[in-house]
Amino acid sequence: MHNVVIVGAGPAGLSAALAAAAAGAPVLLLDSNQRLGGQYWRNSSEPIESQKDQHFDLDTGMLLMNAVKARKEISVWNGAQIWSASHKDGVNTLRVLHQGGEKIINTANLVLCTGAYDRTLPFPGWDIPGVMTPGGVQSLIKGHGVLAGNKVVVAGSGPFLLPVAAGIIKAGGQVVELLEANKSKRWLLSPLTLLENITKLKEAFYYIKTISQGKVRARFGVAVIAAHKGVDGKLESVDVATIKRNFKVKKTRNVKCDVAAIGWGFTADTSLAGALGCKLKVARDKGVVAEADSNQQSSIPGIFVAGELTGIGGAELSMAEGVIAGISAAKFVGCKVEISRAHKKRRAKKQRFADALIRSYPVKSGWLTWLKNETTVCRCEEVSVGNLKYAIEELGATDSRTAKLFTRCGMGLCQGRVCGRSVVDLVAAELNISPTDTDRISAVNRPIISPIPLGVLAAGE
Amino acid sequence: MKNPDAIVIGAGLVGACAALALTNAGLKVLVIDRGPVASGTTGAGEGNILVSDKEPSAELTLALRSRDAWFELNTDVGGGFELEDKGGVVISRSSQGIDNLKKLSKLQAQNGIEVVQLDAAGIRQIEPHISKDVEYAVLYPQDAQCQPMLAAACIMRAVRKRGGVFMQGENVKSITVESGKVVGLVTEKNRYSSPIIINATGTWAGEVAKMAGSYLPIMPRRGFILVTAPAPKIVHHKVYDADYVANVASSDADLQSSAVVEGTESGTILIGASRERVGFKSDLDVAVLRQLARQAISLFPILSNIALLRAYRGFRPYAPDHLPVIGEDANVSGLWHAAGHEGAGIGLAPATGELLVSQITGTKAFMDPTPFSPKRFKEGEALAI
Repeated sequence: MHNVVIVGAGPAGLSAALAAAAAGAPVLLLDSNQRLGGQYWRNSSEPIESQKDQHFDLDTGMLLMNAVKARKEISVWNGAQIWSASHKDGVNTLRVLHQGGEKIINTANLVLCTGAYDRTLPFPGWDIPGVMTPGGVQSLIKGHGVLAGNKVVVAGSGPFLLPVAAGIIKAGGQVVELLEANKSKRWLLSPLTLLENITKLKEAFYYIKTISQGKVRARFGVAVIAAHKGVDGKLESVDVATIKRNFKVKKTRNVKCDVAAIGWGFTADTSLAGALGCKLKVARDKGVVAEADSNQQSSIPGIFVAGELTGIGGAELSMAEGVIAGISAAKFVGCKVEISRAHKKRRAKKQRFADALIRSYPVKSGWLTWLKNETTVCRCEEVSVGNLKYAIEELGATDSRTAKLFTRCGMGLCQGRVCGRSVVDLVAAELNISPTDTDRISAVNRPIISPIPLGVLAAGE
Repeated sequence: MKNPDAIVIGAGLVGACAALALTNAGLKVLVIDRGPVASGTTGAGEGNILVSDKEPSAELTLALRSRDAWFELNTDVGGGFELEDKGGVVISRSSQGIDNLKKLSKLQAQNGIEVVQLDAAGIRQIEPHISKDVEYAVLYPQDAQCQPMLAAACIMRAVRKRGGVFMQGENVKSITVESGKVVGLVTEKNRYSSPIIINATGTWAGEVAKMAGSYLPIMPRRGFILVTAPAPKIVHHKVYDADYVANVASSDADLQSSAVVEGTESGTILIGASRERVGFKSDLDVAVLRQLARQAISLFPILSNIALLRAYRGFRPYAPDHLPVIGEDANVSGLWHAAGHEGAGIGLAPATGELLVSQITGTKAFMDPTPFSPKRFKEGEALAI
């Protein structure tokens, strides 16, 4: 029997690996991190028991991680980074940087659980050292036990701000402000979903309890719209604004801090799915995700997709999807196994919650009014709003791809992972048009998934 | 503009330069492209403006004029496209190759190209990181570089400011010909009348010739370019192996590559120039990337530790004899071709525009355009892909 190859060892990937192994399929699980768990259960080299404080539910994570380690059908490659992948005549080729060299994996079936990363919006001063993403602040604490700063402003939108604020307080830091751009009453749009997912409320209360111990209260309808540096070049303060429903500024005040953790939800990491040729689509939150059918199969037979890659929905939806993807992959390689109704029911329930999240935490276009001409948009290539305007007004760019090629915006080290989504919105707003799905999907096209040293490339067959 | 004096199809660099030359000659010009400016081969180019890779020939005469025309153009449109005379360095490592390069560079010098012979010490003075086994090279100070997309955009801006019109996102569906003469064309959205149509559609020029009921044997030759992560200044010129010249002239269908390595302002290093005849196949071919990486490292071993960040590909338009096509169609009067420059379109674009316009307006050209005439092809002449 052929291996089921799974990429990503977060909630979706771990669940998929266990489901496939339980069905009798040998599994190869690849992850770029040194330890299992993904971003959600990111953990350090300290004994894992001692890290429970930093997690709402590390027990589930430990259960999955230990089960994966115990299963003899599952081989794990940690520290494996796929730099290139292709699909031809039913065979998927993964070119993997692992243990200092390059390894080639050819497989007829694949489960992609590549997760997501923080969504950022550019604003004046966001490139000052000290302005970070919530995910960045959290992974420093979880992965290295390091607190990014002493006085932290946590801001942006989405439920993820809560665990980050709680984690900072537990690690001994001070959260000076906790700012949610949307109004809490947006949840009233989805009352039934809230009742149905009562465990989610428990999770929220768990964080809120910790946060209140830190003597900070969440404010709603408030956002960080500018950051200022001190004489040392590091973050000194942020401008905090009360904003309207469309994110336009009402009034502003200044808050001193040494770190600002600002995030606007997540963007799915579609690089690998895209390189393989899986069909991508634009989700309701306008992020690009991989298309999946009811068995979590992508547009390419034999490639299954699960977790945040198929739409932002949190760890529980990821696990529900991962189980189905793992079963589907095992079935694909010939295991006698079926997806049960209970699996699909669980996924549907978590999906309703994910949909409610998207309704509750929108990012409204008013953020564009926070920008100034000199505001950096692409940090890698140092491209400003003014540079993009020049590309449009003077050079005649009429789409984001052309504006990008004129300015090198999004063509640097991160390959547009940070700014790509914002640039599409920015260019469209400048041209007074709505971005097309093609604009959004072409902005995530990355044939080289991650950098590879030329020497390693040259040594390959 | 429904009745322009001339319509240029294609807003790549060749089309943009033709449009500017026509506009400067006093014609009302309409430029049409199915996409935005520079969305074809121009947008996938390195921006080479080379004289070093040309043997004494009509193409060299065109290249020498074009190199000067680039700097005149830079002044004319007000710059903005990173034009830089960084110079080219050609190396060879085999005794046969060195002999050939010596002979070629001597001939080139007799034909107006500036040539500086370099010994082992001389090379290291200008390229300190070059491989230890390189003991002979030729410096071509006239070789230059531009950012081709910005160049096309800046030139099109000048065309617009001088009264020309650019309609982008319009796909030409048919060309209207009456008693052997062009009278206009039809796009998906509009209908235009003009006695002059310039076919500057590069790799797709054969299709446009067909729309007018004529024939042009232009085919695609795929090439990849590797872009590295930003690095400290390692490569100071455009450096390549003399094999490159042989590859350019070759008609072999198989993959040929001879790395052309150069540093850019932003610190990234560009590595070209594979050549393959695989039609319009667009997928990333890892074998080609590996070969280019090997060749680049053989020129500059230090590159081994630099990371590849991205890669892109384009389709060079080429004719059976590897010469550009600049002139009036063999069968349809009023239809003019400016296409088929293979990998040299960026470098040759300004002089191509000049040569075209002098033929259209009947003024004296800087050279005899006959070698580039579309009439040189036999009907039905084609290449196996």
